[in-house]
Amino acid sequence: MNGLSAYKYVFQIQFFRNAGFLIFMTLIQILISIGIVIGFTYMIPSPDTDTILFLTTGAPTIILIFSGLVILPQQIGSAKSDGYLNFMRTWPVNRSVILGADTILGLLITIPGIVVSTIVAHLMFNPGYDLSWTVVPALLMIALTSIGVGYGFSYLLSPVASLSVSQIVVFFSLMFSPVNYPMDRLPEWLQALHEFLPIYSMAEVMRASLAASTFDASLGNYINLLIWCILGYGGAIFILNKR
Amino acid sequence: MILNVENVTKAFSSRGKEKIANDHLSFTINEGEVFGLLGQNGAGKTTLVNQILGLLTPDHGEILLLGKSVLKAPAHARSICSVQPQSQVPLGSLTPKQAVTLMGKMRAGKGFNPKRVDELFEALDMTEWANVEGVKLSGGAQRLTAFCMAVVVPGQLVILDEPTNDVDPVRRRYLWQVVRSLADQGTAVILVTHNVLEAEKAVDRLAIISHGKFLAQGTPREVKGSVSNKVRIELSLVNEIEEVSVPDWAHSLRRNGSRLLFSMDPSRISPTIDWITDQVDGGLVVDYSISPTTIEDAYIALNSKKTEGVS
Ligand SMILES: Nc1ncnc2c1ncn2[C@@H]1O[C@H](COP(=O)(O)OP(=O)(O)OP(=O)(O)O)[C@@H](O)[C@H]1O
Ligand SMILES: [Mg+2]
Repeated sequence: MNGLSAYKYVFQIQFFRNAGFLIFMTLIQILISIGIVIGFTYMIPSPDTDTILFLTTGAPTIILIFSGLVILPQQIGSAKSDGYLNFMRTWPVNRSVILGADTILGLLITIPGIVVSTIVAHLMFNPGYDLSWTVVPALLMIALTSIGVGYGFSYLLSPVASLSVSQIVVFFSLMFSPVNYPMDRLPEWLQALHEFLPIYSMAEVMRASLAASTFDASLGNYINLLIWCILGYGGAIFILNKR
Repeated sequence: MILNVENVTKAFSSRGKEKIANDHLSFTINEGEVFGLLGQNGAGKTTLVNQILGLLTPDHGEILLLGKSVLKAPAHARSICSVQPQSQVPLGSLTPKQAVTLMGKMRAGKGFNPKRVDELFEALDMTEWANVEGVKLSGGAQRLTAFCMAVVVPGQLVILDEPTNDVDPVRRRYLWQVVRSLADQGTAVILVTHNVLEAEKAVDRLAIISHGKFLAQGTPREVKGSVSNKVRIELSLVNEIEEVSVPDWAHSLRRNGSRLLFSMDPSRISPTIDWITDQVDGGLVVDYSISPTTIEDAYIALNSKKTEGVS
């Protein structure tokens, strides 16, 4: 059977199996991203447009991180413990087909949240969005990195360990990452760490494509994402093929 | 030959202790053959099956599917084998019809005939659940769905790990019929089961495994023959005190209250029946049964021998 029809059937199985959960998660993602946009403006007494733009262009990154590094690892953790993962490994398809189908599902539950929150933010604050054509490849790249890394560690670690990792990731990326505020507010050692971790690069690339006239992303950011993306998927494929 | 397992050994180490789950196992399965794998909990059945599927790697030995090593060509192995795992397949919101149809398409591609799904559901009397979401299905219905997913487009080898768990006696019979018709069409089947009596009727050959080793292997008749081929007689006497003089060909005579049990050579059946009829006419015996050794007798005998050997 060719790869495309294998992909179609695997995608359908995964989609119908999780249909209820996926719809629920899409709604949650919409709420969270609107929540981030509005909620953070309460934290700052009288935010100026620049701050608001920073916050609202950070929100999509947060929920992409949430999809890839929290929701996905949770699903993989339960698929591991109930034997479904091993059952998938007996299917007569290439393992990357399974990864591909789940990646698209992860992306699909996130996009409505990004679109809705951006529209809401634009209408409420008009902070100066300036969409560049790079928004589509940027979004894909960030999503793939986040999902790829999520795959990597949740296949690699036990369900319990990967649950703890994802809790830490959420907390860390919300509080200690230059996603909703500029990098220079962080102590130096955290800055150094973020030059290496993918979170900062995700945020920079996302910002540069949502408000192209205000923000810029460096080539280094793109390379950083690419490396993490490959590491994540490579690790996941390695584990899926391992016996 | 479809499957050739040679000298497969697999050990797990947990907390520094080695546990040998499969100990130099060898067997082969041919086209159209149903091969039973019997053994107590933890005997190593699922471990063996997982190695055939390529989910685990043997420590030693080799597994060949249609002459190709599973280790070297895992994708080839997956295209040949389909499996019903021992654990339930969590269907989530998938209905049996969706799940089985999609598995069929995944194996057969565009040429898949959806009628096959309806035929299977009818054969197993599960049409009423065809469109119920997986999470709302009873345990048996889920198990049957997983069975259908494995057999809807059977490759050359179908592996069923406890297919009749949770399934009612009537549908179990239907399931055995489906297994038989798979074999008739040339598919080889590995059947892991604790349902020893039913397995006897369903399998062509079988192996009994204990602590990772095969205790016996062959046709049901051969396996029974390796223990004994005696016939068992059980009599219910009118009361507990009556003495009966049994024929001298009776072996291993046992009296248990009003029950009298003995075994004997199959050649003595007709004089024994004459003798029993006399006893019934004489009012000494109320009820009786004559049964051949079953696989269950052999299974228990083999397993208890093994335990005696160990202790
Ligand atoms: N992943 C594992 N890690 C450590 N030990 C294992 C693992 N899988 C199986 N074992 C051990 O190997 C032995 C064989 O297990 P296996 O699951 O093959 O038994 P089984 O014959 O299928 O039993 P059952 O009838 O209960 O399903 C058991 O002692 C089990 O504890
Ligand atoms: Mg088992």
